Amino acid sequence: MYPKQIATSLDNVITIRNVNIFLKLGLSESVIAAACSRVGQRVLHVDRRSYYAGNWASFTFNGLLSWIEEYKQAGPSDEAAQEKVEEGEEALALSSLDTSITNVEVFCYASEEPEEVEEGVKDGAAAAWSVPQTPDSEGEVERCLLESSSVEEEEAVLAGDEVAQASGPDAGAEETQPEGEVPPQAYETQGEWQDEQQASPSPAESQPEPKKQITYTKIVKEGRRFNIDLVSKLMYSRGSLVDLLIKSNVSRYAEFKNVTRILTYRNGKVEQVPCSRADVFGSKQLTVVEKRMLMKFLTFCLDFEQHPEEYQDFSVHSFWDFLLTKKLTENLRHFILHSIAMVTPDVCTVEGLRATQHFLRCLGRYGNTPFLFPLYGLGEIPQCFCRMCAVFGGIYCLRQSVRCLVLDKESGKCKAVIDSNGQRISCSHFVVEDGYIGLDQRKNVDSRQISRAVLITDRSILPSDSEQQISLVTVPPVEPGSPVVRMVELCSSTMTCMPGTYLVHLTCSSSGSAREDLAPVVSRLFCIPVSPGEESKEGEEGSEVPSVLWALYFNMRDTSAVDRSSYDLPSNVHVCTSPDAALGSDHAIKLAEAVFRQLLPEEEFCPPAPNPEDIIYDGEGPQGEGPGFEEADPAEALPSQGEVESAERQEEAEDAGETGDVAKQETVAVAENEPRPASEE
Amino acid sequence: MAGGSVSECKEYLFKVLVIGELGVGKTSIIKRYVHQLFSQHYRATIGVDFALKVINWDSKTLVRLQLWDIAGQERFGNMTRVYYKEAVGAFVVFDVTRGSTFEAVSKWKHDLDSKVKLANGSPIPSVLLANKCDQKREGSNNTSLMDNFCKETGFLGWFETSAKDNINVDEAARFLVENILLNDKGLPYEESNGERIKLDQETVAAESKSGCC
Repeated sequence: MYPKQIATSLDNVITIRNVNIFLKLGLSESVIAAACSRVGQRVLHVDRRSYYAGNWASFTFNGLLSWIEEYKQAGPSDEAAQEKVEEGEEALALSSLDTSITNVEVFCYASEEPEEVEEGVKDGAAAAWSVPQTPDSEGEVERCLLESSSVEEEEAVLAGDEVAQASGPDAGAEETQPEGEVPPQAYETQGEWQDEQQASPSPAESQPEPKKQITYTKIVKEGRRFNIDLVSKLMYSRGSLVDLLIKSNVSRYAEFKNVTRILTYRNGKVEQVPCSRADVFGSKQLTVVEKRMLMKFLTFCLDFEQHPEEYQDFSVHSFWDFLLTKKLTENLRHFILHSIAMVTPDVCTVEGLRATQHFLRCLGRYGNTPFLFPLYGLGEIPQCFCRMCAVFGGIYCLRQSVRCLVLDKESGKCKAVIDSNGQRISCSHFVVEDGYIGLDQRKNVDSRQISRAVLITDRSILPSDSEQQISLVTVPPVEPGSPVVRMVELCSSTMTCMPGTYLVHLTCSSSGSAREDLAPVVSRLFCIPVSPGEESKEGEEGSEVPSVLWALYFNMRDTSAVDRSSYDLPSNVHVCTSPDAALGSDHAIKLAEAVFRQLLPEEEFCPPAPNPEDIIYDGEGPQGEGPGFEEADPAEALPSQGEVESAERQEEAEDAGETGDVAKQETVAVAENEPRPASEE
Repeated sequence: MAGGSVSECKEYLFKVLVIGELGVGKTSIIKRYVHQLFSQHYRATIGVDFALKVINWDSKTLVRLQLWDIAGQERFGNMTRVYYKEAVGAFVVFDVTRGSTFEAVSKWKHDLDSKVKLANGSPIPSVLLANKCDQKREGSNNTSLMDNFCKETGFLGWFETSAKDNINVDEAARFLVENILLNDKGLPYEESNGERIKLDQETVAAESKSGCC
């Protein structure tokens, strides 16, 4: 009587005609899928992974460890299965190996043993907690988890064991383990620090330290509080992503925080960049003359097009040359180039001015920096679009992939795909991420990469009155020839890390492996705990350099520069590129809109979805069909073709085409109408 | 804000999830509760996101209840995190006429507990709804079994409901909201650390206009 619940197969989908199939759940694919679904197109969205957002995903700490594991394992081998191809058709295999992530390296510096917690607390030392469990002859503290999976398993076991031992100030009030029964000094004496500890066993309570020591155990235990993005970007408050979120009403699914500070690394120090008017006037590091210079220059940039005489002589020169001719101090040139325009010195003058202008125009829309960051991480954003797609009937299927395309020999078009279970699904369009395109379909290979590092640290890079700062840090090349690095430091109120820690993302365009590119910056800006014997930072009482508790490095392939013409693919197959290295998401959004225009040239891109908040029935109010109900509730308004009544309102008339489509979709794609006779209300 | 003075009135916004197998009546329950409507003409949910019910809980408390329906992705059990995040309560629904939908309840409950937690790490309060009780065959009364099941699986309780005949829907909602309010009173709201921003509400910061000049 009832259709069976479908677990993970696409059986029911196979009968659908004219579906648009999306492979991989990255930002561009999700936006296009939502846009298609919204205007009544049938959408099937699949991803071989078990999580949403593809390479845009964010993970809990434990989820990230699984992700790392996944990339250590070799992908599924290509079974050259005989595909279900009929006469006049040919199969075009997709790549089954995800090679977009490379050079994954993990380092854990947080201690695992409770006694080290005690020790760290006692000494108040920033660097006092990384101790190898067994004395290591080289004194090597860093342990690359990737080199041995057993290490991680061991840690997982430890994580469980140690919880019961956790004690002292580390024990959070909410913990359920009976820490109270374990006296703080009752640690197992083990390792190199044994003697020292016994010599001075001052209990933690007598010298309460304001900073809690974060152990690896604690990080694992509080792992769900982390949302660690694979891609680190911010949202320009007047950028195309923010505009699209507002226009489409997808913004209802997310909340944001303003980035609170722009920082830069200069002369071995982290400094705040004055960018808003209040910042400039309030700045202590600028002289009065500098304040005036900077205001004058920024005011000019805001509408520089109005004053061509100021820059036209420099149209063929670099922005840096232009800055040199302006009356600006070295200080100011650094701020403008690296932190406001955020360009390299060699970009042309107009590009530099435009970047500065964009920055300035984004100021003040939501706060005193131009940037927003989504709560729970950037990985929320593709999911918001997926939710919108699903709400309008899109079907989502994870752990499922497409093995090959079925091409019609005559038209050269893709008429169907064959999924990873060998089932054939006909389609009208196929949207796929670049990573699935095999080498045979590429005319040239672009091997650009992004270098990424993710750090969990114990304090902010620039402590201030508030612990809850969200900072963008621009780091110019630390040595000649090394890359410009962008760093984003997130605090716990962004819901991306546990209280007491900071999550730091570093990003640059790769010149080498992620670790080669980024480790020099990490070691300058952070304290990397060394073996206990050395304790280099130990003496610096009150040292404000944050310590790294855990670090991940990896490279991600950046195909954003690959042009449509460099693929040899049918015209109804559309390729989306992977995330780029830029700070904003404009590339992904513009690409999504361009692909949508190819798919459905006549349709509007992401029209506003009806707002459910508009349907408000007061508990005691009149019941029934109040005015605006049909309009506001699409399920009610779009029941089936037969029920679509002649439009009473202008808006309904406009929506009529879409209404029919959605209704059709409902019966075809879903195909589980209850077979009971319909007796309308 | 019936009765009480406005200054004393506390307002709450609660996100509540409604989950369960296909065709158990999730959307019907939401429509019955929020709009006092019922339609036997069944259709899978398209275009419905969440529905809002405003409850004058008492003279000092106004509760805005957001009931989140699961969308097309449900069939594969792949909900986005957007669906789960910051939910403070849930209904898990099954259909008394179909045993298989009851068997799936544990799966849904487990999924729920693994994907969303209260700020203090405990599972969100959830209530089991045995829907379509108007079609129940007589004699299949197993209250104690159900009570035990709820205890074992971590439900606060269960209700036999009928969205069609409007049985127990309000009662179940009231029961869940009571429990959510209990939690809410026990827990300080974690958001003392600055404002969250909704994009459609531009802040008029002190630094209005374009910042400099």
